[in-house]
Amino acid sequence: MKQLRIAIILLLIGGLLTTTAFFMAFFTAEVQQFGTVTVASELDTAFQLVSVGDNGFSYGRPWFSQKIFYFHVPVAEASFLVLLLSAVFAVRFLMTRKRSFDTKSRIAMETSLVFVILTMITGVLWTRASWGVWWEWEPRLTTYFIMMLMMIAYFVLRNSIEDEERRAVYGAAFAVLAAINAPISFMITRVLESNHPVVFQSGMASSNLLPFIVAQVGMLMVGYAVYALRMSEERLGERIDAAKEALEG
Amino acid sequence: MTDVCTDSAVEVRGLTRTFGVRKALDKVDFDLPRGAFLSVFGPNGAGKTTLVRILTTLSAPSKGTVKVCGLDVVEQSDKLRSKIGLISHNPLLYPDLTAEENLQFFADMYGVENPAQRARELLIAVELDHRRLDTVRTFSRGMLQRLSIARALLHRPEMLFLDEPYSGLDPHAMDILDNLIAQVRHDHTFVMISHDLDKGLELCSHALILARGKVVLSAPKEEIDVDDFKQTYRSTVGMGVA
Amino acid sequence: MADEILRRTPPAERTKVPGLSLRQYKAILRKDIVMELRTKEMVTSMGLYSLLTMVVYQIALSQSGSAFDPRTIAGGLLWLAFIFTSMLGLNRSLVHEKDQGCLEALLLSPVDRPVIYFAKASGNLIFLLIVETLTIPVFALMFLQQGGYGGSWWMIPLVLFAGSVGIAGVGTLLATMSVNTSGKDFVLTVLMVPLMYPLLLAAVSATSAAVLGGDGSISQFWSGIAGVAGYDAIMVLAAYALYEFVIGA
Repeated sequence: MKQLRIAIILLLIGGLLTTTAFFMAFFTAEVQQFGTVTVASELDTAFQLVSVGDNGFSYGRPWFSQKIFYFHVPVAEASFLVLLLSAVFAVRFLMTRKRSFDTKSRIAMETSLVFVILTMITGVLWTRASWGVWWEWEPRLTTYFIMMLMMIAYFVLRNSIEDEERRAVYGAAFAVLAAINAPISFMITRVLESNHPVVFQSGMASSNLLPFIVAQVGMLMVGYAVYALRMSEERLGERIDAAKEALEG
Repeated sequence: MTDVCTDSAVEVRGLTRTFGVRKALDKVDFDLPRGAFLSVFGPNGAGKTTLVRILTTLSAPSKGTVKVCGLDVVEQSDKLRSKIGLISHNPLLYPDLTAEENLQFFADMYGVENPAQRARELLIAVELDHRRLDTVRTFSRGMLQRLSIARALLHRPEMLFLDEPYSGLDPHAMDILDNLIAQVRHDHTFVMISHDLDKGLELCSHALILARGKVVLSAPKEEIDVDDFKQTYRSTVGMGVA
Repeated sequence: MADEILRRTPPAERTKVPGLSLRQYKAILRKDIVMELRTKEMVTSMGLYSLLTMVVYQIALSQSGSAFDPRTIAGGLLWLAFIFTSMLGLNRSLVHEKDQGCLEALLLSPVDRPVIYFAKASGNLIFLLIVETLTIPVFALMFLQQGGYGGSWWMIPLVLFAGSVGIAGVGTLLATMSVNTSGKDFVLTVLMVPLMYPLLLAAVSATSAAVLGGDGSISQFWSGIAGVAGYDAIMVLAAYALYEFVIGA
């Protein structure tokens, strides 16, 4: 029950932090610029105009869709971390054959799937806003798509096996393969060409870094809370099973 | 005979096999002397198959120690595997290979010397030499069972496990199987899973009843009163699946 | 009857046979080849399947017009045919083991589990390579008549081999799992395609470079091969490590 309380507290704090980051992203973070726009005459605009001699005036093109970055990236990172966690539990299960590790691995995989789907949604919004298309077979988006498919495959695999222990072993083996495969997909797609923005390349202004970090911390807390809540639900179910077993015997 | 195989062929201490709350086997203890014939009875789901899987190294115990032929089933599984053979109701043979190829294949797997010669002599012993070049797919149920006995004896095991070997056999094939078991009976230890009480009691020197993963009865045949035994067995059948 | 034949060995005579693993490896591989030569089941069904794929390709490309050069997508078409064909064979190869409980008999023998893995994977690799070798000329004849082949002759065999090692290596593990599930072929497809994504991406890139030739094709080819080789090394190692758990479950 202690874990449940911690989970709820973390969920609240995480939710608060993420919401804070949301407001910060709009009110305190600097608007990133993406190229420049040149106009013939002086305009009434919020952006600072720079005279470029005879050619008129120019200003940095505001890049509003970049705002999604404060959520897209933390969610994506959280999903990846939770997938790794799932694989770690899977390995521990294979070593010890304790069912509790299998349950942990499965719940982590579930949590990761939720975050991967959120990543996909924010990613699709991004491509629409930034590149004008709903879907782009852009390497990193594709990789997340593949991750999502692997996670669905994990649950398909589990559901198609009758024997409980075999289900756990096969699930664990596939979780490990999926966690190894995801970074390979990242790397191979990077070897080939990509037009996904690489954000940290040129450094960020501190007004942008702060909401990012807040969102990151908040998202990890939410991630853990989701995992812990599902776990305590699962434990309850196991206790019911154990009680049933005891009554029958 | 001064090898590790001492008096006990099987030594099971506190064997428990669990997954989550499910207990397939619960604190099973028993011993089996060398040269004995143990029949294991019990309703479906009592844990008979799990027990034999553990004795034959195919699964590991969750708790407790199990020694077969003096060897630990987990630590010394590799050594143990070459000392045991299994005859199941499944033939465990490749249907698209000939009888001879099947035996030679398993002889290779066990590292038997002169695999061709060994396969041939066993084929003669189980009276299948005339069909040695036919694929196993074309064999009758009784022929398959004879060939699978040959397979189990290829590497000259000390112990034989029989997993409901009589199921699906016609009376004639049962006689042949009886005959073959009788021939090897004197210098092998046997563990047999059986649903057939009469058959199991007729062959055995020791009997074990499992129900819901627990040992209900374990005794040498001399100490068993057949009617009491049948009564005990029937009472377990109602206990259902653990 | 010769009683001695049915006797057991005196315990003292047992010694560990040297070179047993190699003998077992050869025995399993030989058995698979003998069975295949006798039934011709796998190569026939895989070959037929890949021919059918060619027909489907013809339909897919039928409206593309004469200006369209199929060479630009040849790599993709080929690997698409190979991946789906391979699954047919992988499934068959493990169904043979399951059929009469033979796998259990195999596990009862004193064989190191990795030996089973490498033997089964080698068999699958050989059958896959045979089908690929039969498919390539047919494909070239049907789709690549104009334009010709741009690279050096050894490029295609190299990428075929490297890619097939990954397919057979990972596929053998996945088929060992899927054969124990209730929707065998479907589960194999769901598990296999996302896990194969990085391999296919790199293999298609290398194959396209080989077919098209031209500037930069050599470096594209080698980076593709590097990707495939990296995937092979990591994933086959992982599959090998996990096989013991999977096959024992």
